[in-house]
Amino acid sequence: MTNRFHFQNELHGLERSALGGLELVAESLDRALETVRNQDIELAGMVIADDDRIDGRYLEVHQGILSLLALQAPVAGDLRLVAALLHVIRHVERMGDQCVTMAKLVPLDGHEPPAEQSMLDLIQRMGEQARKQVIQCGQAFARRDVEMAQDLVRQDDVIDELNRDVFHHALELGDDADRREWAMHMMLVGRCIERIGDNAVDIGEQTAFVVTGLFREFEDASHPVAAPPTA
Amino acid sequence: MSAHGETVGRPSSARRAKDLAFRLALLACLAVAIGLLGILLVDAVLDGAGALDWDFINSFTSITADKAGIQAALWGTIWLMGVCALFIIPVGVATAIYLEEYADETRWWNRVIELNIQNLAAVPSIVYGILGLAFLVRGPLNLGQVVLAGGLTLGLLVLPMVIIAGREALRAVPSSIREGSMALGATQWQTIWRQVLPAAVPGIATGVILALSRAIGETAPLIVIGAATVIFANPTGLGSDFTAMPIQIFDWISRASNDINDYRPLAAAGILVLILLLLAMNGVAIWLRNRYEQKW
Amino acid sequence: MVIGQPAPKSAEERTRARREPIFHLEGVSVSYGDKAAVRGVSFDIARNEITALIGPSGCGKSTLIRCLNRMNDLIPSARVEGSVLYHGQDLYGSEVDAVEVRKRIGMVFQKPNPFPKSIYDNVAFGPRVLGMKGDMDEVVQRALQRAAVWDETKDRLKANAFGMSGGQQQRLCIARALAVEPDVILMDEPCSALDPISTGKIEDLMLELRKDYSIVIVTHNMQQAARVSDRTAFFTVDPEDRVGRLVEYDDTETVFTNPGDPRTEAYVTGKVG
Repeated sequence: MTNRFHFQNELHGLERSALGGLELVAESLDRALETVRNQDIELAGMVIADDDRIDGRYLEVHQGILSLLALQAPVAGDLRLVAALLHVIRHVERMGDQCVTMAKLVPLDGHEPPAEQSMLDLIQRMGEQARKQVIQCGQAFARRDVEMAQDLVRQDDVIDELNRDVFHHALELGDDADRREWAMHMMLVGRCIERIGDNAVDIGEQTAFVVTGLFREFEDASHPVAAPPTA
Repeated sequence: MSAHGETVGRPSSARRAKDLAFRLALLACLAVAIGLLGILLVDAVLDGAGALDWDFINSFTSITADKAGIQAALWGTIWLMGVCALFIIPVGVATAIYLEEYADETRWWNRVIELNIQNLAAVPSIVYGILGLAFLVRGPLNLGQVVLAGGLTLGLLVLPMVIIAGREALRAVPSSIREGSMALGATQWQTIWRQVLPAAVPGIATGVILALSRAIGETAPLIVIGAATVIFANPTGLGSDFTAMPIQIFDWISRASNDINDYRPLAAAGILVLILLLLAMNGVAIWLRNRYEQKW
Repeated sequence: MVIGQPAPKSAEERTRARREPIFHLEGVSVSYGDKAAVRGVSFDIARNEITALIGPSGCGKSTLIRCLNRMNDLIPSARVEGSVLYHGQDLYGSEVDAVEVRKRIGMVFQKPNPFPKSIYDNVAFGPRVLGMKGDMDEVVQRALQRAAVWDETKDRLKANAFGMSGGQQQRLCIARALAVEPDVILMDEPCSALDPISTGKIEDLMLELRKDYSIVIVTHNMQQAARVSDRTAFFTVDPEDRVGRLVEYDDTETVFTNPGDPRTEAYVTGKVG
C-alpha cells in the first residue's frame, strides 16, 4: 500500500520526460548524420530548429525537479532519482547541442564537397554506435540495470577507436586544400559523435548512483581513474 | 416547502413542537422543585421573621417564649463544627491522598476500601449516632456526652464526603503536572505536597464546606449520643456539655404552644438562623472555588 | 571498474572515534502487563549529539525514551528487561536512586506542562526540591537565558506561567529542566503541539544546547529529525507480533539519502506509515 500517490505520479512523469528526451536526441542524431552524408542544407536547418524541442524539454524537467524539491521534500531513493534526473536532462541537452554542431558544419563545405567514401563510412559507423548507446543508456536507467549501464563503457571504447581512425584517415587525405578542409570538418563531426557517446556513459553512471547511492566515474579512455567524489 | 438542496429549510413543525414540549416539561419540573422550597422558605420567614432579633441571638432558651433565645445552641453548633472540621480535614485529605496517589488499584484491599467509602456515605446518620455512643461516648474512648464526642461523631458521618470530594479534586489535577514534577527529580511526596495538593485545595475546601453544611443540620446522631436538649450555658471546652441548633429547633417545635407561650415563631426563627448560616458557608465555598479555580 | 564496493564509511569512523557513548542499550524490552511494547533494542547514544527516534505510531519510541530516565517506573504494570547503561552504570541497578537519575537526565514532554505557579517558581521548583544551593535568582536567570526565553520573561517573572503562549511555555519547560543542571535532555515530541515558528525556535535552541548537553528526541516529523539530529534510529511495528523493534540506526544523512533497510526507505519516503 503506497502513500504519496500524487508525488509518485509526478516523479514518474518527470523520469519519462527526461528519458523521452533521449528519443528526441536519437532523431536529431539520425538527421544530423544524414545531413553529413548527403550535404542536405535544408535538413541541417531542421536539426538546428528542432533543438528547441530538446531545450524546451530541459527547461520542463528542470522546473519539474525544482517544484518537486520545494513542495514534496523527497528523501532517500526518491531524492537520488531527482538528483540523477537533473544530471540526465543536462546530458540530454548537451547531446542535442552536439547534433546541432554537427549540422552547422555541413553548409560550410558548399554544394559539392570533396567527400571521401571511407571517411564517410567511418563517420556512419560511429554515428550508429552512438545511437545505440543513446538508446541503451535510456533503457538502463529506466530498468535501473547497472550491468547494462556498465556495458556502455565497453561500447564507448568502440567509438573512441573509430574516432582515432577518423583522425589518422584525415591526416592521409591531405593533398587538396578543399579536401583537407572537408577532412577537418569530418574530424570535428567525429568529435561531436564521441562527445555524444561520453554523455551516454555519464547517464549510465547516474543509473548506478540511483541504485547504489554511490557515485563513481566509470573507467574509460577519456576519463582517467579518479578518486570517487563523496556521494 | 422549499425545494430540496436549494435553501436551508426550517425544521418541520412536528420537530419544533417536540422541542418546545421538552423545554416546557423541564421548566415544569424546575418550578415544582424550586416552588416547593420557596413555599417552605416563605413560610419560615413569615413565621419567624418577627422573632428574629438580637435578643433572640443572645438569650438562652427559656420556658417563657418571649425570653427564649438560641445562644447556647448557636455556640454549640459552632463548637461542633470546629471539632468536626479539625477532624475531617487532616483525616479526609490524608485518606484521599493515599487512595488517589499511593494505593495500587490492583490490590484487593484497596478496591474494598474504595467500595466501602461509597457505601459509608449512604449509611443513615442515626447509625453514626449509635457508633458514636458505643465507641466515643462510652466504650473504649469513654469521652462522655461532650462536645468532642459530638464533633467526632459528626466528623465520621461526613468524612466519606470529604474523601470523595478530595479524590475528585486530586484527580482533576492533570497527570502531566505530576510527570513534570517527577521528571525534574522530585520524590512522590514532594510532588504531592508541593504541586498536587496546592492545586487541589479549592476542590478540597469546597468538599469540606459542603460536608460541614451537611453536618450542621444533623439531629438524630446528636440526640443518640446525648446532646442536651435544654442547656443554659455555652460550651467552654471540648469536655463541655452542649446542644445544637437542630436540637433546639426540634425542642421548640415539640413543645405545646398556647396563647401565653407560642414557641412556633422561635422554631421558625431558629430555622432562619440555621439557613442563614448554611447560605454563608456555601457562599464561602463558591467564592473559594471561583477565586482559586485552575483552568487547565 | 567495480561497482558495488561500498564507499568507506569515513563519517561513521570519524564519529565513533571522537564521541563516547553516553547510553548503551543492550536487548532492552519493555512490556506493560503481558503486552510487549518494544523488544530487543540495542544501540548507543553519543555525547553532545542529537539522536532522533522516528517511526510509525505504536512502534515504542516513546516507551523507549522513558526508559532512559526511568519514567516508566511511574507506571505500575511496566516491566523493563535488558540493560540500560548510563556512563557504564546500570540505570536499573538496585543501588540506583531513580530521583538522582532524573536529576541527571531531564525530560520535556509533548504538551507543554508548566506548573500552575509563577514563571520564577516554575524554574526554581527543581533546584528547590533537590536542595540545590546557590543564589536562586541567578539560577533562574541562567536557566531562562539558556532556554532562549529570558528576554520574554525577565519583566514578568512573577506572572503565572499559563499566561504564556504555547511556544514560550515549552521553552519555559526546557528552562525548568535546565535549571537542575542535567547531563542529558530527553524530548518526547516537543514541538508537535506548537506552531511552525515556535517549532523553529525550539529547533534552533536544540542545536545550541547540543554543545553542552546530549539530546534524545522522539519525533513523528521526519523533516524535523532530518533538520536537527546527528543520528537517527528508525523503529517499526513488527507486522507479525505487533511489537516495536529497532530497524536501523545510522548517521541521519545516511538514513535520509541512502538507508540500508527497505523498511526505512519505505518509511522516510512516506510510502508506508
